[in-house]
Amino acid sequence: MQARELTGPAVAFVVIVAVVVGGAAVVPLVTGGDTPEVTNLAERQTDLDAVRVDPAEESGEITMDADAESKTILVDRAHGNELSDEKLSTLTAALVENGHEVRFVTQEQARGQAWNQSLRTADALLVANPGRPYTSEQLAGVRAFNEAGGRVVLLSDPASGSGASAVTSLLGLSVQQPASGGPGLSSSLGVAARSGYLFNMHEYQHNFESVYATGGSGSLSQGVDRVVFHDARAVTTADGQVALSAIERTRLSTTRRADTYAVAAQSGDVAIVGDTDFLAPTNAYVADNEAFVGNLADFLVSGQKTSNAPSPPSPERGESAPTRPAPTA
Amino acid sequence: MKRKPSAASAKETFVVAIAAAVLVSAVLAPVAYDYGSSTQSDGTVSVITVSGTISATTVDGISEDLRNARTNESVKAVVLKVDSGGGAVAPSERLYLEVLRTAEQMPVVASVQGTGASGAYYGMLPADEIFVLSSTQIGSVGVIGSGGSVPYPDSVIRTGPDKAQPTTDQRERTVESLKRQFVGRVMEHRGENISLSREEVAYARTYLGPEAVQNGYADRIGALPTAIDHAAELAGMEDYDVARQEPPSSLGLILLASQTDNGTEIYKRSDRTNGLVPVTGPLMVDEVPYHDPEVTGNASA
Repeated sequence: MQARELTGPAVAFVVIVAVVVGGAAVVPLVTGGDTPEVTNLAERQTDLDAVRVDPAEESGEITMDADAESKTILVDRAHGNELSDEKLSTLTAALVENGHEVRFVTQEQARGQAWNQSLRTADALLVANPGRPYTSEQLAGVRAFNEAGGRVVLLSDPASGSGASAVTSLLGLSVQQPASGGPGLSSSLGVAARSGYLFNMHEYQHNFESVYATGGSGSLSQGVDRVVFHDARAVTTADGQVALSAIERTRLSTTRRADTYAVAAQSGDVAIVGDTDFLAPTNAYVADNEAFVGNLADFLVSGQKTSNAPSPPSPERGESAPTRPAPTA
Repeated sequence: MKRKPSAASAKETFVVAIAAAVLVSAVLAPVAYDYGSSTQSDGTVSVITVSGTISATTVDGISEDLRNARTNESVKAVVLKVDSGGGAVAPSERLYLEVLRTAEQMPVVASVQGTGASGAYYGMLPADEIFVLSSTQIGSVGVIGSGGSVPYPDSVIRTGPDKAQPTTDQRERTVESLKRQFVGRVMEHRGENISLSREEVAYARTYLGPEAVQNGYADRIGALPTAIDHAAELAGMEDYDVARQEPPSSLGLILLASQTDNGTEIYKRSDRTNGLVPVTGPLMVDEVPYHDPEVTGNASA
């Protein structure tokens, strides 16, 4: 009797629940879902051609043309020089392969008379990013070496931002403030480097600091159409010739001025390049860098240095040596 | 004798009824007011906050807010309240795409507070209008990331020379590609207004509000209420509600999360580069290179 009284309400309960829940489930099926249409915005907004950056083509070989007999090239390692073995290996490999000798001067080997002795037995000198100043005797020795036909190549990067690196680069100081009271090495040789780095916002290789430079005159630019310099500085020469100039619309970081900036210059038996990165194995074969490296190696071995110069010190030679300001070219 | 209690009972019932009516009215009146005002209101302006470092976590939250704005029929316009100096590249692009998706559906107005630089500027590009203050720093259209990576010791086994160790050249190409994308999108979205060339934009300079309005990085000088009102106007609303979407969690948690996301805290010392090198090497759309303490000092003085 009691169960029968409950049947009615129970059925009503089940029917109501079934209708309400079932209806809720069926309504979206009838009316359709509310998922909005999705547009592929990322694809629409991406210009694949515009954002593609192709790798720089690397080709060619570093070859030397100079038909010179075996020469000795001295690499300055005595003045806190910043040039990695990796970069140096590109140049030394080319020189050694062509029968030349590469020697290094350590700090101990540059003390007192030892510096001039090292120069006396060498045909060419390579100085990269010196971090310590040269003594007036050392400068006089290099000048005498150069005047006797000894070839000198100066490589200079812009002062690195990190504290450990040599901000007091001799070449930089030679234009701004002479080191240790005497003239710097580069300015005493008639070439100089400017402060700041070069950049180009229009045409560059992968980065605005990787500027292109085109050939000028002289043996350094032979067979060179375009060279890539990364983080390079502008160089100047008193009366020499510009070997490579950064392409138009290249600017100097310190002034932001667009101008024609030389990156490599030659003044007689002295050459200056405002970069060392072109020697790095990863950069040495892009564009015509390999041709330029070869030209630089040729320049080092093509000098006609009189033997035994700089001459050994004589009693009358005193403090007069560093007074000559004129370039050697 | 018999009437008295009956009269008292009627009176009591009357009082109880009044009390009940007051109570019920007190409960229902706000609801009724809200209903009344919502029928008066044409819709809602959703104010979404974009602050701190742009990271995957912060963009997850902002994306959710934007999605809610798009799916909620009462939301007719969005205002981005921006105060950020940027962040990681991928989250910045995600933010950009989410804002773009929203801007295609309803008016979006950006209101930059202190800073709207780099990744934050990237994110607000699709906005219909950008409002700045005279002290706002805006711009910094560029990408920054570490160059080469520190060589792995022999104890680490890798399957290829480029595994987890991109070369400087590869990193440069990556950064250049990301920069082109960023600059291209700035030119596309600000194109009609901007007076700067693609080259000038690529310098990645940060501009102060008034200059930004002049060169087209921003549209107008104005504070948040003005931006909200303008967004409502663009959506054709005279009477509107404002719903503010604040970041979901506390500031400390966000910073912690963002640091983990972009991996900026993981550094190792490198002898080759004379400095600290991030292990994970994230690419940042950030304004790290631009910092002028003097300007900040003057502004706060």
